[in-house]
Amino acid sequence: MIQMVTVTIPAGVKELIAKRGLKESDVVDVVNTAAQTGKYIKKGNDGLAKKVIGGVTVYVVSDLSGHGTAVVKTAYAHKMALGKIVNVMSETEWKTHDGKAIAQGHVEMEYMTVKRTGPALVDPATGDAWVEEYLAIKTLAAAEGLFEKKRA
Amino acid sequence: MGYEEMFPAMDSRWHGNAAKRFASPFVDNPHDRIDVDPIILSNAAVACGYTIRDFYEKPELGIHCVGYISHLFDLLPVTHWFFSLPWVTELGLKLHYKETLPPISTGPIYSEPEDVDKMRVIPKEELVKATGEFATVPKFFRIYDYVAKNLPMTLVPISYGFDLVGAAAEMVGVENFIMWTFTEADQAEKLVQIYTDTAINGAEAMADKYGMAMLIVGSVLANNDIFSDEGVERYSVKNMYRYVDGCFKHGAGPQIFYHLCGNHQTDYKLFKDGLMWSPFTVIHAGYQGRNAFPSALLKETFQDKATCMGSVDTKLMIDNNPNKVYNAAKEQLLQGRDSKKGYILGTACETPPYTIPGQMLALVKAARDFGTYGTW
Repeated sequence: MIQMVTVTIPAGVKELIAKRGLKESDVVDVVNTAAQTGKYIKKGNDGLAKKVIGGVTVYVVSDLSGHGTAVVKTAYAHKMALGKIVNVMSETEWKTHDGKAIAQGHVEMEYMTVKRTGPALVDPATGDAWVEEYLAIKTLAAAEGLFEKKRA
Repeated sequence: MGYEEMFPAMDSRWHGNAAKRFASPFVDNPHDRIDVDPIILSNAAVACGYTIRDFYEKPELGIHCVGYISHLFDLLPVTHWFFSLPWVTELGLKLHYKETLPPISTGPIYSEPEDVDKMRVIPKEELVKATGEFATVPKFFRIYDYVAKNLPMTLVPISYGFDLVGAAAEMVGVENFIMWTFTEADQAEKLVQIYTDTAINGAEAMADKYGMAMLIVGSVLANNDIFSDEGVERYSVKNMYRYVDGCFKHGAGPQIFYHLCGNHQTDYKLFKDGLMWSPFTVIHAGYQGRNAFPSALLKETFQDKATCMGSVDTKLMIDNNPNKVYNAAKEQLLQGRDSKKGYILGTACETPPYTIPGQMLALVKAARDFGTYGTW
């Protein structure tokens, strides 16, 4: 479990974060919150943490191989709010910080008052869910755009 | 003279209403009535005075006919054009046109299970540069560029995985493939995966150009008339998941249309927790045994995950009794219209090329009579 961490954001990642409209301070906040609560998942040396900030769910993937440090590898966000787990499928390589398996599955996703189902990493024990980067920046971003257009 | 000069301009008033109606089930904003999608393909060309072959051989004409006839019957505000064998020429198969059928293969090019090891996934760059009249990506670029120019309000770029099992099986012959699923299961699976991964690369090419690509993928050959539930799961469900997940990784989606064609008597259950669902997903099932798949069962199984599309038996569309269509549509509508994430009335598969216009009217009339929002 992360206790106190020093968060490092390499220059290239800072550029990516800015391009995605995220604040560095929010990225640091996501990692620090995960460190304090223990709510993050791991795959190898990578940790995936998330926090809802201003109605947007911000995710940070960090390299946790260094003792007491988190080197940010990427950060991304989505506007859809994640709700309850809809189904649990096969286990993934992601684990909770104490080694329990995280599964592929689906959760309720709400945006502009519309509730639909979308893919996510799910922890059936806690009901928590995480969206991987490719889904957030491509699939959900496009879906959010469609909701905005069709609800207009 | 371009094909666009042969059609009056689309009525923007009709289209505006149809577009709002089309959005209804996806954004919980009920408008007008349940939409009707008879999966109109070469029937649109026939209804405009052309042939089935014209539809496939002249895709810009074909897709314009779809747009035009959709207005006639107050169907969907979007256009589409496809047949069931995308990506196969890039993998080596030869296709040819038929007068009364979609293009078909001249025959399998592999006959032994070891031959599958000679196959390779075709990379995106090769798909984009492919030549020949059946080259998939160039053909769809041509079609959607035509639509963008001439029917822009109907444009939804679509990439087709279509029948992952059936199209892959064409490479080796359907009979061989079915036998291999018993005797050479790993090679059969590898074959489907090569086709699937090629289709994913194609979807990426479409998404690169148009910014998104709706995905249409089905389980057609893999149905309960041919395969056990285990076979459907291994060859079809798992590869449909692979296809959609792979397409999402490469920027295609987020819209998905899942088409369970043919008889899905018992295997339908496997798709529920075996597929990937996005916020814009439609699931359509054709038959349960010899009967149209009941919308009540479709709703019960899938309504938490997707918009449900019910089926009227396509045979009824060429039966000269409009009330058979009307009553079948009514029954499906009453069963499915309150699906949690919306409902669409469809036919069990592509409406037949020689669909009787009165039967199309009966389908739409049923949707008006029993699918008008706010009346139930």
